[in-house]
Amino acid sequence: MPVVLARIDDRLIHGQVTVGWSEQLKPDRILLANNAIAADPWQTRVYSSTVPPKIKVSILSVARAAASLADNELAGERVLLLTGSAEEMSELMRIGVPLSEVNVGGLHFSSGKQEMLPFVYVDHQDLKALGRLLEMGATLSAQQVPGGREYPLDKDQIREMGDQF
Amino acid sequence: MEKSTLPPVRGLVITHGDIGRELVRVTEMILGPVAGLTAMSNSGKAAPDITAAIQAWLAEEPDGSAGATGQSSRKLILLDDYGGSCATCAQLARGHDPDCAIISGVNLAMLLGFVTWRESGDFENVVGKIVQKGREAITRVGGR
Repeated sequence: MPVVLARIDDRLIHGQVTVGWSEQLKPDRILLANNAIAADPWQTRVYSSTVPPKIKVSILSVARAAASLADNELAGERVLLLTGSAEEMSELMRIGVPLSEVNVGGLHFSSGKQEMLPFVYVDHQDLKALGRLLEMGATLSAQQVPGGREYPLDKDQIREMGDQF
Repeated sequence: MEKSTLPPVRGLVITHGDIGRELVRVTEMILGPVAGLTAMSNSGKAAPDITAAIQAWLAEEPDGSAGATGQSSRKLILLDDYGGSCATCAQLARGHDPDCAIISGVNLAMLLGFVTWRESGDFENVVGKIVQKGREAITRVGGR
């Protein structure tokens, strides 16, 4: 499996990914699975332009990204897999991408979300998706940057968080 | 110096953390109160919220109100770094607006140049001068 990091981050491709994690993990490719951006050439160009030239970048729909990983199209490459939501990461696993670990890197505040950690704000939909990732066998941990504090996330924490709504 | 008849160029400094606010504060400490120069931080915001906040600033009138008189104003966005969420969101918010330019690598010299030159005529020329000023400010001043 070529995925060196599977990360949920609603800022998508940004400094923590292109500098922080990429300097640490040396991925050959950043693979962003996002339906809206993949369908919009302008947004695809903007996001792609922020990746350093030494790293390849693919921005694909969730289904296409899953197929690309499942079909071993990226064999031999170290891939940093990125989604903007837990829902999308869960969908990738559901349709066949085997992930043993998922990094929750950043889910920022927006209306209706509550703080789980200083950089993780969630609503019911996020919690359900995180729960599904655990059920499918992934371990979850929240960590913004390499060397930063890592917070393991388990079923009980997710249930307790859900009780706060 | 030739004065433009158009409204002054508005400036938005978008940075990580409080870098932008401090840069604007220090600019005003040196030059006095500056209208039309605002700072914005990406702290705690998801990408769509950063983009929406920039779009709201772009849609403001030259006097800073949220009205819609249709009066065009030229706008300059200054970013701390190219490649982060500030840069991506600024590009997405700007779209293809010909009256808005984006520069990365903001420093104090650029903001002082912005305030000094923003009413001095051709917008592209002003933007070019600010970039040049910023580059000139990065220089070794001592050691070894």
